[in-house]
Amino acid sequence: MSPTPKVRVGGLRKAYAGLAAVSGIDFTIAPGEIFGLLGPNGAGKTTTLECLVGLRHPDEGELEICGVDARRHPHEVKQKIGVVLQTTSLQDKITPREALTLFAAFYRQSTPAADLLARFGLVEKADVPVERLSGGQRQRLALALAFVNRPELVFLDEPTTGLDPQSRRELHELILALRRDGHTVLFTTHHLEEAEKLCDRVAIIDRGRIVATGAPRDLVAASREEQSVTIRTSPPLGADVFAALPGLTPVVVDGDTVRFQTKDATATLAALTARLREQRVEIRELTVRKASLEDLFLALTREGEP
Amino acid sequence: MNAVFAHLRISLRLHFRNRMALLYGYLFPVIFLVAFWVLYRHEKVPLLRHMGELLTVAVLGGACFGLPTTLVSERERGVWRRYRLTPVPTWVVVASTALARLFLLVTAGLLQLGLALALGMTWPAHPIALAVAFLFVAFAFIGLGLVIAALADNVPAVQALGQCLFLPMLIIGGVAVPLAALPEWAQHVSAFFPGRYAVEALQAAVNGRGFPGMRFCLLALSLTGVAGLVAGAKLFRWDGQQRFAALRGKAWLLVAIGAWLAVGAVAEWRGRVAIPADLDPARPAPAPVPAPSPSAPPPIASAPVTPIPAPRAATASSPAAVTPNPAPAPVLPVTPAPPWMSITAKDWDGLDYQVPPDHGIVTPMAAPDEEPDEYTKEQVDKVRAKLPTWSPGVDGDDLSCVRNLLYVAAVPDAIQMPVERYLPRVVYQYLLDSYPRENLMKMLTYIALHPLEGPVRDDISELGIEGAAGDPMLVRERAYLYAIKFLARLTGRKSE
Repeated sequence: MSPTPKVRVGGLRKAYAGLAAVSGIDFTIAPGEIFGLLGPNGAGKTTTLECLVGLRHPDEGELEICGVDARRHPHEVKQKIGVVLQTTSLQDKITPREALTLFAAFYRQSTPAADLLARFGLVEKADVPVERLSGGQRQRLALALAFVNRPELVFLDEPTTGLDPQSRRELHELILALRRDGHTVLFTTHHLEEAEKLCDRVAIIDRGRIVATGAPRDLVAASREEQSVTIRTSPPLGADVFAALPGLTPVVVDGDTVRFQTKDATATLAALTARLREQRVEIRELTVRKASLEDLFLALTREGEP
Repeated sequence: MNAVFAHLRISLRLHFRNRMALLYGYLFPVIFLVAFWVLYRHEKVPLLRHMGELLTVAVLGGACFGLPTTLVSERERGVWRRYRLTPVPTWVVVASTALARLFLLVTAGLLQLGLALALGMTWPAHPIALAVAFLFVAFAFIGLGLVIAALADNVPAVQALGQCLFLPMLIIGGVAVPLAALPEWAQHVSAFFPGRYAVEALQAAVNGRGFPGMRFCLLALSLTGVAGLVAGAKLFRWDGQQRFAALRGKAWLLVAIGAWLAVGAVAEWRGRVAIPADLDPARPAPAPVPAPSPSAPPPIASAPVTPIPAPRAATASSPAAVTPNPAPAPVLPVTPAPPWMSITAKDWDGLDYQVPPDHGIVTPMAAPDEEPDEYTKEQVDKVRAKLPTWSPGVDGDDLSCVRNLLYVAAVPDAIQMPVERYLPRVVYQYLLDSYPRENLMKMLTYIALHPLEGPVRDDISELGIEGAAGDPMLVRERAYLYAIKFLARLTGRKSE
C-alpha cells in the first residue's frame, strides 16, 4: 500500500476505572477501502471507534487520521471525517433540512442541504419534524449528516442495528455506492454476512485485541482446510469428553449442541463415536461442513473462554 | 460566528415550536403579573412598586427551569453527543444557547412591561438603566441556569434543583415577599441570594434613583453571572451517560458557590443587609412626584423623611398628669399656630377617596352594629378602656396624638390580626369624642397630605396588642388609608 493510509492506529489502549477496554490495537486503512471492525458485544469495537472519532481520549497509542495526529488536533480531524453512531439523536422538532443547514455551519466546507436531501432520498421529508420520520428515514438523515462536510473518511458504528430488512438492504446499497465512489469507510458490525458482503478488509477484535486481520475471503480460505463439526446428543456432552480427542480447535458447548473444528474430520469422528458408544450416548444430529467466516469468528473470539 | 448564529437561529425556532416551553417562558410571567396586580390592586400606581419583583420572577423562572431543561433534555437525548462529532467548539453551543435564552427573557420582560403599562403603570423613571439592569439580571441568572444544567443528570433533577433555588429566593430572598416583612435572619440570608440584588437594581430603575442606586447590585449580579458561566462551562458535559458524581473537576462548582458567598459577605461587611426603616429597597420611594399641591393625590413616600425609630418620649410622661376623662383635649397654646390649622375644606375635598372597601383585607372597618366574637370582643374592650390613658394618644401636641391613634388602627391591619376590623371603629369613636369635629377633619386631612411626617408607631403593646408589622412604610400607608376613611365619614361622603 503505497499511498498514505487514511487511518493508522498503533498501540491504542483505553481503560475504564482500571478495566482495559482496548489493550493494544494496531491497524491501518488504505484510501478507498471499506474496512470492517468485527467482534462480539463488549469486545472493544465501539471504544476503538469512539477514540478514533474524538469522543474519548485514549490512554496510550498513536492515532493518525487523514494524515492528522488525532490526539493533538482532534478538531482538524473532525473537519475531515463523517460519523454515524449507533443512534443519532436530534431535537424532536427539527426538520432534515434545518439539521443539514445547521451542521453545514459547523464545518469549513459543506455540501448544500438540497443536494444531500436528494442523494439520501429525503426530499419529500425535508420539512417534516424528525419525530415524524420512520427508523429508516432517520438513519438516512444520520448518513446525510455524516456527509455534510464532504468527508474523506466515514465511520459507521453498527449502522444497520435495529433496522428492518428493507432499510438494511437500502443501507447496504448505499455503502456499496460509497465504495464505487472511492470513499473510505470504517464500520463496526457483528453481522458477519454484512461484513463478507461489504468489506474489502476486516479486523476481528476480541477482548480489546485484534485476533485476525485480512480480506474476508482470505481469512476464510486460510481456515478452509479446517472443517466445522456440529453434534447434538442425548444426554448432552460436557467439554471434558473432547479433551482427550486429537486435533480439535476450541470446543463450543451450547446446551445439547457442541461445535468444534478439526483438520481431520474422519479421525476425530472415529475417536468420538467410539467414545460415545462406550458411554451409550445417542447422536441426534451430526453435520460436517467447510468453515465459514462465522466459524472463524466464533473460534477466534471464544478462545480461552472458561 | 456562523455556527453561533446558525445554532442561535435553530434554538429559537425550536423554542417557538415547543408549547411547554412557551408556557413556561411567557404564560408564567403573565400569571405572576396578574397575581401581583390583584394582590396590590389598591396601590396608587398599579404594579410600579413591584416591577422589580415581577421581572426578576420572569428571569428567574426562565433561568432556573427553562434554560437547564432545554440543555439537559438535549444532552440526555444525545443531541450534544452528535454535535461533539463535529468540530463545533463547546463555547459555540453554550454561547448560542445562552443568547437564545437572553432573547426569550427580553421578550418576556417586554411583555410584562407592556402589560403593566396597559394596566395603568407609569413609564419607568430610568428606561436605559432598566434595560441595563435587566441585562445584568439575565446574565446572572443565565449563569445560574448553566450551573443547574451542569449539576442535573436528568430533567426531573432540573425541576428539583430549580425549585430548591427558585422557592427560597422567592420567599426569603426578597423576590416575591418584601424584605421588610421578613425576620432579620431572613434578611441576612437574602444577602447571599442574587435575587435580592436583581429586584433592587430593577426597582431602582423603575421608580428609584436609577444608576446611582444600583451600583452594588450590578457588581453583585456580574460577579455571580461570571462565576456561573465559568463553572457552567467547566462542568459542561456532552454525554448524557456521564453522571455529575463521576465528573472530574467538580471543584469548579465552588466558583459559583464562592461568588454567592462573596457577594453576601461584602453586603454584610458594608452593612447593607438589614432594611433601614425608610429605605426598604423593595419599596423604594417613587421618585417622580407631582407638584406638592395640597390637593394632589397623597404621595405615599415622597416627602423627606426623618426616621425616628424609638418612640418619642412624651412631653409630660407622668400618667398622673393625664386627664383621665376623655373630654376634648385642651388646645395647647402653641406659637406659631400648628400647620394643620391652615387646612380648609378645599383641601379635604381634593383628597382621593378611592380606598379599599371596608369589608376587604386592606384597611377593613367593621360596621357600627357588627359584633366581634367573644375573644376579640375582650381585646377590643381592653383597648377601648386603655386608650384614654395611653400616653402617645394623649400627651404632646394634638396632631401627634391623632397620628398615633391612627396607628392603633393601622398596626393590627398591617399584621392582619383578628381585631383589625373592630379597632378602627374604636379609634374613630375615640377621636370623635376627643376633638372638635372641624379640628379633627383638619388634622386628618393634614396627615393624609403628609403621610411621612412624624415617627411611625409600630408598637402598641401597651394597649395589650402584641406584635409589630416590621414595615414602617406599610404602617404609614394603612394609617393614611384610615385617615381617608374617617374623613369620608366626617365629610358625609360615606354614610353609615
